[in-house]
Amino acid sequence: MNNRMVINYTPGPTFLHKLSGFTKVFLFLVMSAAIISTFDIRVLIPLLLINLIEIISMKPNWKPIIIVFSITFVTVTLIGNIMLFFVSPAAGYNNVGAEHIIWQASENLYLSKEWLWYVFVFFIKRTTSFASVMAFALATTPSEFASGLNKCGLSYKVCTVVSLAYRTIPDIANDFVNIRNSMMMRGLELQGKGVSVWKKIKNTVILLVPLIFTAFGKVGNIANAMDLRGYGKKKKRTYYAENEPTKADKLVRTLTILLLCWTIFYIVYFRIINPWPAKYWCPWLAREEVTYVNPLTTFFFLKWFK
Amino acid sequence: MENKSFLQKLLGTWNTMTIVTVGVGAALFGVLMNYGGIPIFTNTSLTTAMIVPVVVGAMYGPVPAAVACGVGNVIADLIGGWGLYPAWSIANAVAGLFVGALPLYGAYITDGKFEIKHMIWYLVCLIVGNALAFGLVAQVFTVIFEGGDLNVSLIQGLYASVGNILIEAVVGIPVIKLLANRYASRSNLTEE
Repeated sequence: MNNRMVINYTPGPTFLHKLSGFTKVFLFLVMSAAIISTFDIRVLIPLLLINLIEIISMKPNWKPIIIVFSITFVTVTLIGNIMLFFVSPAAGYNNVGAEHIIWQASENLYLSKEWLWYVFVFFIKRTTSFASVMAFALATTPSEFASGLNKCGLSYKVCTVVSLAYRTIPDIANDFVNIRNSMMMRGLELQGKGVSVWKKIKNTVILLVPLIFTAFGKVGNIANAMDLRGYGKKKKRTYYAENEPTKADKLVRTLTILLLCWTIFYIVYFRIINPWPAKYWCPWLAREEVTYVNPLTTFFFLKWFK
Repeated sequence: MENKSFLQKLLGTWNTMTIVTVGVGAALFGVLMNYGGIPIFTNTSLTTAMIVPVVVGAMYGPVPAAVACGVGNVIADLIGGWGLYPAWSIANAVAGLFVGALPLYGAYITDGKFEIKHMIWYLVCLIVGNALAFGLVAQVFTVIFEGGDLNVSLIQGLYASVGNILIEAVVGIPVIKLLANRYASRSNLTEE
């Protein structure tokens, strides 16, 4: 389990690690907004490359990243797409706006070139999102995360919730493994074949009760320790993790502001003023061939009401 | 807890204790989301994470429960590494708001109160909250943010809400009863 953890708790030596918390959070938020706002592969590929360079520049331990990525690839991408193929083969038409059928079994089961393109672009979008999350998780410590969020204008009480949650995860994960192992040693069946789902759910109650009491049992101690140090007496607070911006900070902040300007321009111009008729841009389709499909009309159960 | 106004019950009191509880709750949510699934078939599991808003809501009210759920889902995304899904974080927060609404209909767990009447209210809240969160909120924000396929997203939402309702009912009710008993045994002292 611990080799699946990618969270970083100690400040590292590389360029990105040394940036201040606000710079990292700002970059991450703008990057997320840029990724969310676009479905165009011509924009996604550069964003993906930026994030990959960020990850490589931090010289991370690659093992957990590869494990996490492959698990996500199998569960989300492969199984999700097989499901998508059976549920809505028209996804290509709905999102890309045209259909060139390659293989057809029946009216409701076929494969089109646009469907493959849609799946590919969606995979790139997911991977870009994954890379940006990884880059952020690898670069940021809990205090930096909290100080950055606070400087973005969030109330420091919510920031404390975030950094506390981030910080207590390894403890709670350890508690969880210990309790589960000891329960399984006593013969509580939680996994494996031949155990009915109902039994598993009932056994989960027995597993969860001690976990909840252990986890929330610490609350009193932590809260008292914080109260004794004068937490929450004033309206504002400062953070050790937030330093004066260095030259590197200023550089990255300027680049982030440029990315923000581009994102706003992209949304205003390419999504509102002059949008591509369909949601996804596709290289082999001219503008005239593309038809727009309202996503609200694509629910599969609408067929039953016609 | 009884003599508080509706707004106070809704928001909860944000002292250090609440903040720490919500933080620990969010961490527990992240851990259970990533490791605490009940396997049903290969690669399909029921998540047990939705027990967190039940406990936090029972102790501090719906808004702390919603914050624990929302932050917890962001944290789960960060450690799980499957990318950030703001739509599902918002949906989870909405679900947490409804699931954690125990004090609003008079189930004061910290005073040891949880009766049949409250259990029915609780079940109604579960169904309404999950249907609203994963049937509507998650879909609307998926269309806005991610542009995934609505049919797949709807099936996932349906699956998530049915699984959540099952876990919140079957696991949640015994846990609430246990918590209520624990608090009740402590609260029978009277001041002289």
